[in-house]
Amino acid sequence: MADVNPLAPDLEVVIDPEIGGPPTAPIGGIPPTAGRPAARLGRLGPTLVVILCAMFFIFPLLSLARYSLQNVPTVRLGWSTLFDKWSLKGLTKAFDDPHFGPTLRLSLKLALGTVLLTLALLLPTAIWVHMRLPRMRPVIEFITVLPYVIPAIAMVAGIVVVKPHARWFLNSDYALIPFYVILALPFTYRSIDAGLRSIDLKTLVDASRSLGAGWGTTLRRAVVPNLRTSIISSAFLTTAVVLGEFTIASTLLKNTLPTFQRTFVGVNPQAGFGLNFLALVVTTMLFALLTLLTRKRGAKGTKPDAAVTNAMAYSALSQQSKGI
Amino acid sequence: MSGLLYISVRKTFGPTVALESLDLEVREGELISLLGPSGCGKTTALRIAAGFEFADSGAVTVGGADITRKPAHKRNMGMVFQSYSLFPNLSVNLNVDFGLRTRKISGPERKKRVAEMLELVQLGGMGDRYPHQLSGGQQQRVALARALAIQPSVLLLDEPLSALDAKVRLSLRDQIRRIQTELGITTLLVTHDQEEALGIADRVGVMSAGRLEQLATPSEVYSKPASAFVARFVGSMNEMPAVVRGADAVDVAGQTIMTPSGATRSVGESVLFLVRPEDVSVAAAGEPGLSGTVTATTFQGASTVVGIRLDVLDTLVHAHLGSSSATHLAPGQRVSVRVDGTRGVLEAIGAKHVEVEEPAA
Repeated sequence: MADVNPLAPDLEVVIDPEIGGPPTAPIGGIPPTAGRPAARLGRLGPTLVVILCAMFFIFPLLSLARYSLQNVPTVRLGWSTLFDKWSLKGLTKAFDDPHFGPTLRLSLKLALGTVLLTLALLLPTAIWVHMRLPRMRPVIEFITVLPYVIPAIAMVAGIVVVKPHARWFLNSDYALIPFYVILALPFTYRSIDAGLRSIDLKTLVDASRSLGAGWGTTLRRAVVPNLRTSIISSAFLTTAVVLGEFTIASTLLKNTLPTFQRTFVGVNPQAGFGLNFLALVVTTMLFALLTLLTRKRGAKGTKPDAAVTNAMAYSALSQQSKGI
Repeated sequence: MSGLLYISVRKTFGPTVALESLDLEVREGELISLLGPSGCGKTTALRIAAGFEFADSGAVTVGGADITRKPAHKRNMGMVFQSYSLFPNLSVNLNVDFGLRTRKISGPERKKRVAEMLELVQLGGMGDRYPHQLSGGQQQRVALARALAIQPSVLLLDEPLSALDAKVRLSLRDQIRRIQTELGITTLLVTHDQEEALGIADRVGVMSAGRLEQLATPSEVYSKPASAFVARFVGSMNEMPAVVRGADAVDVAGQTIMTPSGATRSVGESVLFLVRPEDVSVAAAGEPGLSGTVTATTFQGASTVVGIRLDVLDTLVHAHLGSSSATHLAPGQRVSVRVDGTRGVLEAIGAKHVEVEEPAA
């Protein structure tokens, strides 16, 4: 999916930040030798790496921002024009497009549907596996990681085969939801699984039941509230996947936000990339929020889970930006 | 309130027999502790009473009513777990309130009951705290208050003290016993800590490999162990090879020692003779007894443990002596050992040796 856009070959790096991106933040953030005077020289290395990586990120993003938000001809974009004629006009052009509203609404509806279906399927399953089939956990973990390893195009091939027999289903816009549930599974399952591992599920369930609560009440009052962070983060991750998925939506001829973005770039490159830039900024901010949320819990001693969630967030983000 | 009765309860997990056929009565208002090494079935017994596991066969009754097939949430059992059982998302008040709410009790009544319960476990005024703001001992007291708030017919305690440090453990143990006696609630406690089991209970049930080996008062379990397993598991034992002399005597290295009578052993049979360290005394060398050499003395305050290697059997025996009478003993010293066998236990040699695990700290 990470194809080079012919209109802006210089933006290639932005399109696939997963190459250099995800690991640098945690590694660079905590230099292993921090604080020891003898190792002061050794700190220079990590700092340099951080700066290089930051440049690796910032320059392409800056280029993208300048291209889309500066009212300056592309050939004249240089250091001297850095502060000239910034405007959001490019963006508003995208918002004014009659297709923008409906596709955004559809994508948000799909995101909501995917989140709800994911939680409805995954929560009881993950809880059951933790309670009764702990030995099955590695198997389930392996299965859930498959959608990440197998490219979405493989699933598309499957859809093409099935299409003639399931037209009634695939004709609906919401037919995308099950596919998105599967695509998001590597992130959502891990998030829920990490949450379940950080609480003493069996004891909480037993305690609740001995206090007279049936299974429903137990889930509602004793389990779900303690999984709040993982549920929120899995919802975020799902949303990111849905808002970035292009291949399947395009194959099934649905008009979602990513397919609109793709066509709109062709119609109006500047506004199109402006929209892409905005999407990237918004998702990044969502993940920053998510990181803050999980870190707050991490302080209470669930740090590994926060780290896992963050790593997943970055990787989902890269997944998301693939769609751009 | 009412008694808890197990009738021939059997439970297996795949090929493992967790409970062979358990018959046990916890009388009304009584506290019984089930003691045994891990994997002996004591926790399974408790979980069957709680309704978290169901018996393969047999029955469980509370106050005469059969609850064998009743699901956990309809049983009215108060349960305290080893640890981490408080709902971390709820304050202390709401934790204690949890069971009252599921019982659809009115608001003011619940509030009153929660306050009463926290007062009972001496945590009045802590209601607005969250579990992670409490110490381990405080958390277990909240768990106790929560279990008692629903006015359960039976209180089930699953190693409630084992996650706590020694000092807190002792004071909470006394507190549990005080509250239990005060409320007169039928209680079953499971533990692998013999001191805890003996110190708190009206009666102790010692379990091994899915069987209840002995059910008796703490002092009886200690002084009249029903089997070699019980003898070894509760307290410590010296073991000496011996030959049966008669119904109430054995021969240990040429010395005749009187044993509890009624032992069904044939004369001349080789056996292991088990005797408590406090039933071993030390006399000056040359006095009648088994001669040996002191190998080590360990001062323990009121008492001193003396290790003596016997000449004839090449066996190490330990003696618990009052510290004042052990001051003259030093390693290398020749002594004579006397054994009071009237509280000893005989075990046939070659009998199935049940591995006694050291309880985990």
